[in-house]
Amino acid sequence: MQVTPIIGLEVHVELNTKSKMFCACSASHFQAEPNTHTCPVCLGLPGALPVPNKTAIDYCIKLGLALNCQINNISFFERKHYFYPDLPKGYQITQALKPFCINGYLEIEDQKIRINRAHMEEDAGKNIHENGQTKVDFNRAGVPLVEIVSEPDIHSAEIAKKYLIRMQQTVRYLGISDADIEKGSMRCEPTINLKIEENGKTFYTPLVEIKNIAGLSGVLDAINYEITRQTQEFKETRQEKNNPPAGGKTTRGWNADKKETFIQRNKEGSADYRYFPEPDIPPFENLEYDKNLPELPSDKIKKYLAWGISPIDAEALVDDQNFAQCFQKAVDKNIDLAKSIANLFLGPLKINLEIEKINPIFFKNLIKALDQKQISSTVAKQVILESYQTQQDPLDIAQNKNLLQVSDTNKIEEIAQKVISDNPKAVEDYTKNPNSIGFLVGQVMKASSGSANPQLAKEILQKLLK
Amino acid sequence: MVILQPKQSSTKMDNKLNAFITIVDKVSPGIPIAIKDNICTKGIKTTAGSNVLKDFIPPYNATLVEKLLDNGYSIIGKTNLDAFAHGSSTENSDFGVTHNPYDFDYLPGGSSGGSAAAVGAGLVDVAIGTETAGSIRQPSAWCGVVGLKPTYGAVSRYGVIAMASSMDCPGVIANNVTNAAKVLEVISGNDLHDATSSDCPPYVFKKLNLSELKIGIPTSYLKVCTPEVLAKFEEVKKTFQKLGHQVVQIEMMDPSIAVAVYTILQRSEVSSNLARFDGIRYGATRDNFNLENQRRILLGTHTLSAGFYDAYYTKAQKVRNLIALDFKKKFEEEKIDLIISPTTPTVAQKIGSSLNDPLFGELADQLVEPSTLAGLPGMSIPCGFVGKLPVGFQIIGPRFSENLIINLALQYEKFK
Repeated sequence: MQVTPIIGLEVHVELNTKSKMFCACSASHFQAEPNTHTCPVCLGLPGALPVPNKTAIDYCIKLGLALNCQINNISFFERKHYFYPDLPKGYQITQALKPFCINGYLEIEDQKIRINRAHMEEDAGKNIHENGQTKVDFNRAGVPLVEIVSEPDIHSAEIAKKYLIRMQQTVRYLGISDADIEKGSMRCEPTINLKIEENGKTFYTPLVEIKNIAGLSGVLDAINYEITRQTQEFKETRQEKNNPPAGGKTTRGWNADKKETFIQRNKEGSADYRYFPEPDIPPFENLEYDKNLPELPSDKIKKYLAWGISPIDAEALVDDQNFAQCFQKAVDKNIDLAKSIANLFLGPLKINLEIEKINPIFFKNLIKALDQKQISSTVAKQVILESYQTQQDPLDIAQNKNLLQVSDTNKIEEIAQKVISDNPKAVEDYTKNPNSIGFLVGQVMKASSGSANPQLAKEILQKLLK
Repeated sequence: MVILQPKQSSTKMDNKLNAFITIVDKVSPGIPIAIKDNICTKGIKTTAGSNVLKDFIPPYNATLVEKLLDNGYSIIGKTNLDAFAHGSSTENSDFGVTHNPYDFDYLPGGSSGGSAAAVGAGLVDVAIGTETAGSIRQPSAWCGVVGLKPTYGAVSRYGVIAMASSMDCPGVIANNVTNAAKVLEVISGNDLHDATSSDCPPYVFKKLNLSELKIGIPTSYLKVCTPEVLAKFEEVKKTFQKLGHQVVQIEMMDPSIAVAVYTILQRSEVSSNLARFDGIRYGATRDNFNLENQRRILLGTHTLSAGFYDAYYTKAQKVRNLIALDFKKKFEEEKIDLIISPTTPTVAQKIGSSLNDPLFGELADQLVEPSTLAGLPGMSIPCGFVGKLPVGFQIIGPRFSENLIINLALQYEKFK
């Protein structure tokens, strides 16, 4: 039995606009005193009307462009009706038929995950269940959200994770949201079923949407749990997608404590949302938008791979936009040095860097010196951090501290003699096992404060111990 | 322009008429105005004529209320209406029916029946009404007053309790054309709180010397009118001919088509707009919706449902576009300047007559529904009586032709 998971992801990103989607209230609701960021519009008072936030629409389109989407010539908002205490108007203003952005993709490694749409909508309030009572906080009601819906192109939890990380990086690069999965400003709802091949026949298990997952690891755990559960369920029931009675789409919740999904509702009995065009907001025709985008993580990765940097290092470099910018400033035009500079960034410089303090000349000089064996890589790592902190040329630092690599045979021989006489036990070991010379080389390096050329030290030791 | 005289004590005469739901105790000095009770007034109870909101005191003013207060108007009271403006009689009000000031056994029309009756009875010179399809013009005709429904988007809807958002339009009911124009100057203009409000600057009255306008009369509109109404309208036609205008018969879509389209679209939007009244944040519980409210919610929920949406809503939207096109053709291709017709097919009906007829309003309003669907401005002007009861005719024009309509109405008013 061959099992292939089929996974589509719905990602909600809360935009970091100053005001809410349809009113002037502050959109920053995190840990605010309940119901302090409210007005007639976001409380759904009689007579209040929504006025769309232009910045939020700009952000949505920016994200759509970054996800290689087409921007619809005509788009409009619609009302999605359902009753819930945290939904003040009895409907959510969202986009169904004509979203701002459609038909894009997100690249991860060599795979393109197709994006069905990126649309704009408003968040609901929050129900707080306390001592048998339910209270509603409307601070979050009307906060702008972009919903990004992928096609079911994802076939493992690992790829889902990579998709989410790349999405998060992209959103952060655009500066439109902090996309914090733990804080809830980025949320993910996977829809998953399985393709099962058995004895030359293919079966598809019923679709399951998983809701209320907090955190990135929660998404992975929930997907993996569901793969196992659906496989097991298929073995027991042979239930297939679209086959009555249980073949419809079901919604399951995620219990983070028990690490398992549980049934919430069957779609057969689900609500008819009665979508229709929002009459309070005129449609948008030929929206004007800024086509300029910053260099995105996927662009940078391609570039770094071309510079000879490994895929793992490239990923590590792009994770934070500022860090990647600092790296690129350090490389400057010296692409041939990029790989060596990357090693410094992923080593001693993997800290919060200020781009003004990156001096490409320092990096160029240092890597040249390293290539010419004027300094050891140990010293290079040591002095580059100090150079960054003090803004001095790293080679000056090495010189002042006597850390320039010593290739003077006499000087190394002098140190080697002393190491041999101080370590009789190691010398004895060496005579039994020539591979143990590393210890003695290490002692020479230590005695020279890391400045000795290790290769030369090894050769001299071998000569002296012959 | 006539300066309006304060009539602060006049609302005390309201006992029998029942034009007001709330009478303001201490009216501040200013030009008195009555406001339909589906328009939010900060600190003054705003019920929309419904028990759902019987104790609702808005924390904010509608934009048009702000503008009126800023311009020296003073609110004397909130006028009666069919609950949530659902109706054309005020018989659907949860606060009792309003009586026609010309005969208390008759209806004032609606839904702005309280505003029209208050002006008709002389309790106040000007009142604000709202029209979705007929709710300003129809009660104005029945109460013998001037009713001005502006172009959709000319007056902000912010703070007006929504009935059918794509058609709702606040306007003026007044004792004469000049006063209606004067109030429109105050309440019109773009509003940043209403995304559907037009970018056009506020209306400013400009005197025009009108002659030889081409005025169209849709034949299909006359077919549904009673002979008494038609006789009065014939006099209107003759007046315009005497004034030197060219009056021509024009062929337009049967107004009953507009009734069907309007009924579907309006019910659909109603079912959505009333969803917020869940009794959680404000207002009473949903069982306080009256029978007519419930009928509209049910019908609108049905027409928006999956499987029915295309057959009803989508199709109605398409026909709505055709109706707008029908008017556009008349104004642009056939060079008709303005259209006139009776405002209502009949004079006021007896109290009680709407109660067992869910489509009472749609029939009473059928001559205004086509132009409403097209978002056009219109004005009802009194043109005589049948027995004790007033008759009105309407002038309809292209979008933002309020000044032309008002000038023609003034010319008629002066000549008569």
